[in-house]
Amino acid sequence: MKLFYSKKLIIIASLLIIVAVLYKLAIPDPQVDYNTQVKPIINKKCISCHGGVKQEAGFSLLFQEEALGITESGKPAILPGNPDESELIKRISHTDPDERMPYKHEALSEEEIDILRQWIKEGAKWGEHWAYISVKKQDVPDYSSKWIRNDVDQFVYQKLDEENLKPSSEADKATLLRRLSLDLIGMPASEQIAAKYLKDNSDKAYDNLVNDLMASSRYGERWTSLWLDLSRYADTRGYEADRGRNIWKYRDWLINAFNTDKPYNDFLIEQLAGDLMPDPDDAKYIATAFHRNTMTNDEGGTDNEEFRTAAVMDRVNTTWTALMGTTFNCVQCHSHPYDPFKSDEYYKFLAFFNNSRDEDTQSEYPVLRQYNTADSLKFSQLIGWLRNNVSEAAARKYHVFLKTWQPTINSLQCDQFVNGALISSWYAGLRNKGTCRLKNVVLENKNQLMFRYNSNYDGGKWFIYLDSLNGQLVKTIPLSNTKGQWQIISTTFPQIKGKHNLYFKYYSPAIKTADETGVQFEWFQFDQNFPGKGKPGFELAYKDFNYLMQAKVDATPIMFENNGDQYRATHVFERGNWMVKGKAVKADVPDIMNPLPPNVPRNRLGMALWLTDKKNPLVARTMVNRLWEQLFGYGLAETLEDLGTQGISPTHKELLDHLSWKFMNEYNWSIKRLLKEIVTSATYRQDSKVNDELIKKDPNNKFYARGSRVRLSAEQLRDQGLEVSNLLSKKMYGKSVMPFQPTGIWRSPYNGDVWKMSEAEDQFRRALYTYLKRTAPYPSMITFDGGAREVCIPRRIRTNTPLQALTSLNDSTSHVIARNLAYRMQKTGGKEANKQIQKGYEIMMYKPISPVRQKALVDLYNAALNKFKKDHKAVNEIVGLKDKEKGSNAETAAMVVVAGAMLNMDEWLNKN
Amino acid sequence: MKNEILIQRLLKEAEQAALQQHTRRHFLKESAMGFGALALGSLLGSCGTNSSEASSSLFDASNPLAPRSPMFPGKAKSVIYLHMAGAPSQLELFSYKPELAKLDGQDCPQSLLEGKKFAFIRGVPKMLGPQAKFKQYGQSGLWLSDNLPHLSTVADEIAMLNAVTTDQFNHAPAQLLMQTGSARLGRPSIGSWVTYGMGSENKNLPGFVVLTSGGNNPDAGKSVWGSGFLPSVYQGVQCRGEGDPVLFIKDPDGMDRDLRKASIDAINKINHDQYAEYQDPEILSRIAQYEMAYKMQISVPEVMNINDEPAYIHEMYGTEPGKTSFANNVLLARKLVEKGVRYIQLFDWGWDTHGNSASGSVDIGLVNKCRSVDKPITALILDLKQRGLLDETLIVWGAEFGRTPMQENREGKDMPYKGRDHHAGAFNMWMAGGGIKGGTSYGETDEIGYDIVSGKTEAFDIQATILNQLGFDHEKLTYESQGRPFRLTDVGGKVITDIIS
Repeated sequence: MKLFYSKKLIIIASLLIIVAVLYKLAIPDPQVDYNTQVKPIINKKCISCHGGVKQEAGFSLLFQEEALGITESGKPAILPGNPDESELIKRISHTDPDERMPYKHEALSEEEIDILRQWIKEGAKWGEHWAYISVKKQDVPDYSSKWIRNDVDQFVYQKLDEENLKPSSEADKATLLRRLSLDLIGMPASEQIAAKYLKDNSDKAYDNLVNDLMASSRYGERWTSLWLDLSRYADTRGYEADRGRNIWKYRDWLINAFNTDKPYNDFLIEQLAGDLMPDPDDAKYIATAFHRNTMTNDEGGTDNEEFRTAAVMDRVNTTWTALMGTTFNCVQCHSHPYDPFKSDEYYKFLAFFNNSRDEDTQSEYPVLRQYNTADSLKFSQLIGWLRNNVSEAAARKYHVFLKTWQPTINSLQCDQFVNGALISSWYAGLRNKGTCRLKNVVLENKNQLMFRYNSNYDGGKWFIYLDSLNGQLVKTIPLSNTKGQWQIISTTFPQIKGKHNLYFKYYSPAIKTADETGVQFEWFQFDQNFPGKGKPGFELAYKDFNYLMQAKVDATPIMFENNGDQYRATHVFERGNWMVKGKAVKADVPDIMNPLPPNVPRNRLGMALWLTDKKNPLVARTMVNRLWEQLFGYGLAETLEDLGTQGISPTHKELLDHLSWKFMNEYNWSIKRLLKEIVTSATYRQDSKVNDELIKKDPNNKFYARGSRVRLSAEQLRDQGLEVSNLLSKKMYGKSVMPFQPTGIWRSPYNGDVWKMSEAEDQFRRALYTYLKRTAPYPSMITFDGGAREVCIPRRIRTNTPLQALTSLNDSTSHVIARNLAYRMQKTGGKEANKQIQKGYEIMMYKPISPVRQKALVDLYNAALNKFKKDHKAVNEIVGLKDKEKGSNAETAAMVVVAGAMLNMDEWLNKN
Repeated sequence: MKNEILIQRLLKEAEQAALQQHTRRHFLKESAMGFGALALGSLLGSCGTNSSEASSSLFDASNPLAPRSPMFPGKAKSVIYLHMAGAPSQLELFSYKPELAKLDGQDCPQSLLEGKKFAFIRGVPKMLGPQAKFKQYGQSGLWLSDNLPHLSTVADEIAMLNAVTTDQFNHAPAQLLMQTGSARLGRPSIGSWVTYGMGSENKNLPGFVVLTSGGNNPDAGKSVWGSGFLPSVYQGVQCRGEGDPVLFIKDPDGMDRDLRKASIDAINKINHDQYAEYQDPEILSRIAQYEMAYKMQISVPEVMNINDEPAYIHEMYGTEPGKTSFANNVLLARKLVEKGVRYIQLFDWGWDTHGNSASGSVDIGLVNKCRSVDKPITALILDLKQRGLLDETLIVWGAEFGRTPMQENREGKDMPYKGRDHHAGAFNMWMAGGGIKGGTSYGETDEIGYDIVSGKTEAFDIQATILNQLGFDHEKLTYESQGRPFRLTDVGGKVITDIIS
């Protein structure tokens, strides 16, 4: 019987095969697709020896012209249309292991060889990877399921249908309220917004909730947290001493930009090149601090050019990683191993960034100098005077100069010190009769020297010689004792043609020992006299000018472009080594991408306009993918940092393109409109419950047959805790704050900075305002997968560790939150403990507690109460001595323990 | 070179196979084979390309610290890495240079200065003769200075590396290079790679522990024990001498153990209820993490407490309970090794001897620093040996660079004390235990300890050797980040076979 069936089966199977073969012969295969069929084989089996890094036998498969070109053997390895004569096919199917490719690695499968053979037969057509092709308008599928709410759902439903999956129903209102609040504002909705939504049973309730949350100023704070990772924002400079950096105004700029829904293209242009836009205001300068979040190395004895170069490369890498989802940093040393970027193209792109004024200086120049109110008025009057009495151009020039002290020459450009040194690599310092050189100073049309210096000696003199120390003495400048204070002096300078090396000598009769440094210079500026002499009001204007140059300001590092005199040429670094300069290159974008738009300047501004050109294939896709990840836990393409051929392919490429197209063309780059489309979809609103079958089929919820369940970020965890315990300060903006931190975390050498606990409500600000020291980040942030932000963090990888449990159980902040939540529960929950527990749960989760959970908590309460009734010392300790007045009784202490447990519930740490 | 390593490994594997009944790890042999197969085919340059095999990650989000066997049976089970942050002078410790004494006080010849860059030396400095007396010790005749009287008694346990070099002459970048394989921030530290590769053997303790002394963190900050692009679970856990031994390990005041137990039980009951509702396996993982946290609360303070060590041990190490000191940290390192912690990183700050102060001089400050480490380090070697643990514990001693044979003349001036500038060109490190051949030395420098003559050893070689002793091929322990596989040793690294037993 069994045998019979087997035979029968064999016959049936054979018949099927015959039919299949006949069918295959009768109907030609569709053309082999380069991107989905050929490129994966090349990347997997060939490219490590025949690609961007190595080109064995002169053969590379990275670019079409290389693949079809002549190899070392003198002929091409691929002959389009003729697979049997193509060396490539011969070698991959060779029987001799010494000849067969891949050399000493596993052979290609028959199927893979067939694909390559067929591909060559069809003409070896090259295809471009999807992510480098401009976004096109997508056809929306046309399903008629009742589940579908908008276009997002059409695309998702299509995939579910293909995978034989069914979507889940909508989550309950409480779950949606919490999910949406955490996603849009990073913390629970205000009581008012929450109550309004829970009461509203109309169809519009959910849409109204979305609008209310987006209108809240908490919205900007939440999305700024994301951008701080991308822009590697920190409050210190990194490296050894890791000194503080005053750059929080950039963080505030971001909050504002998100809250006012600044279109994403403008958002990027201002951050990349706000300084180069016409008549930039303070805000546009502040925006450029984006790329001043690079690290500076203050360590004594460092080569400033080395770390300036490191910062410039970091700007290139961050621009590509954060904004274009591309691993461009690979191209530093060689052509990209698998993506179509050539090594030179890295340096061409670097040239866009290579002419900013920053030089790894101690003072972090260039900075935006912002005056206090009184001085601002003076400033406006002065600029007005220049406009009316001199020219518009002069008004602009002095506006910029007063605001930035640029353009000036940093004294660290001095060299050839004798009896002097670049002190700590920062300032040119000269001892008695000490000398040094300042190279290549353009003196043409200049008649004034302005400089910033300090000295502790009387009667100092500064001699300036032209072209050599034996050259013409062109100027002698008396340097008075500034008693260690920095001072700016301007003095006339003789008119000299051309560009010269200047040689400096210093002398003071007051210096008694050979070792004393007599003078330190910080910067020099050669320019024309302050204009408008003879005009009415000149004296006052000039006085105000001098005053404002030295007025106390708030200084924020910004980008500022070199003028012609200080222009830096850009060279290729051989094998990525900055010391070995190769050929010179001009600023340009990679060939594979959209070209620079016509008529844009070839500088950072032009680059920013190219980046935000709708033809740029990567910018919109990268942002859409990132926003999706923030809401669903994974991007449509999981590797946010790499949309290239080695990244993980998008699960819903058409949806990604659809949203990207809409983002640019229909929503005019409005992030709020884009987010609204996503969060109002049925896809987003699904219940996140799963079952065994679904977990097996789709463990990471890539097909969205359910809502996503994601652990909250470090920021969300802090903020929601402070909010439900009524501790959260609503204060926005300002200097970063220092909430409670255990002692001994900060221990930077050569740096006396200490963690000084902030006072009053600054103890309880949102997480994004917490001071971030790069070499010693805030512990609980790091434990919950935040980063030190030394470099751009394109994606946080979530972990689940016992240290997280210890933090949310025992960190003092956690305990203070528990204590205050307990007070709130007691205050609002009535007299009975179980009612208080119910109330607490509702405050946290917006819904009634299940009986199992309630019992667990009531049992804990009773156990704790028993203990505390016998132990008054413990009561005081749990409640905290300072809080005695709030009633340090055993009931309260027990409720603090219960609240502490509730704050560790998995559903609290996650977004359901 | 590669073949040599391969042959060596095959021999080692054969040897280990014969001994397997004695190794506590043989039960994991099966999975070791699996690991080897997974990692095979990833013999790649770091910026090279990947293949499907190489991209397989060892990271399992549901149990990232599960113990895993290395690629091949390693000699060492644990590493204790002693990093002297600030960089001690090799010329006053290990590098015996009588010729330099003769040059003391003379101007440095131009030939040594041309094309060189120093952190602080400017113009023409003077040569500075050794500020210590040297003698030969042990069967091997190892030269050691009188700054290390204790260490000289265990000279034959040590494999001395005489010709270590780096290309970084500033502290932070040089420490990063030594500890993460890159002078720039953002790469995982050695301990993170090891933890990623091996997980954590002791479920109640972190797999990678960091202990610091000397008053400051190392110059490069916590990045030298950071996890870079590896999941943060692999970063070093700093155990501290003050406050909680591990941050937040202590329950809030007023919460006793029973109550904490009751509270974790309540949390886990609620989480089980949540699991019944949502069926998300991550919830089960969280329940496990809370149980582990509870156990860690007991085991960490226990292992971090040295009060119960016998008097002779305190005498041997020079430890004083309750203080933060290098000696205490060394003793803790031994305790952690006993508990199965794989990687213990010590940093002792304060070795930067430029001559700008008494404590920063090679004839006063350095002598005092040596006094604080000589005894405990020697005790560690002897103590591990008497416990039969030295063979399986690799000790690495070193710094980020060495010091110049010239006297520093910062800004071209004479310094108030005798000091030396940073020297990247040549310095000493040593290893002991963990399959290292004691009584050997490798590499030599010229007669003033300025340039390398033979046996050049780079940071990557040290790292490759550490991984090798633990049973990893440094070229194959990779992690996919930003579209390509990264490894600790970037594109370099060769195992220092001369010092391996």
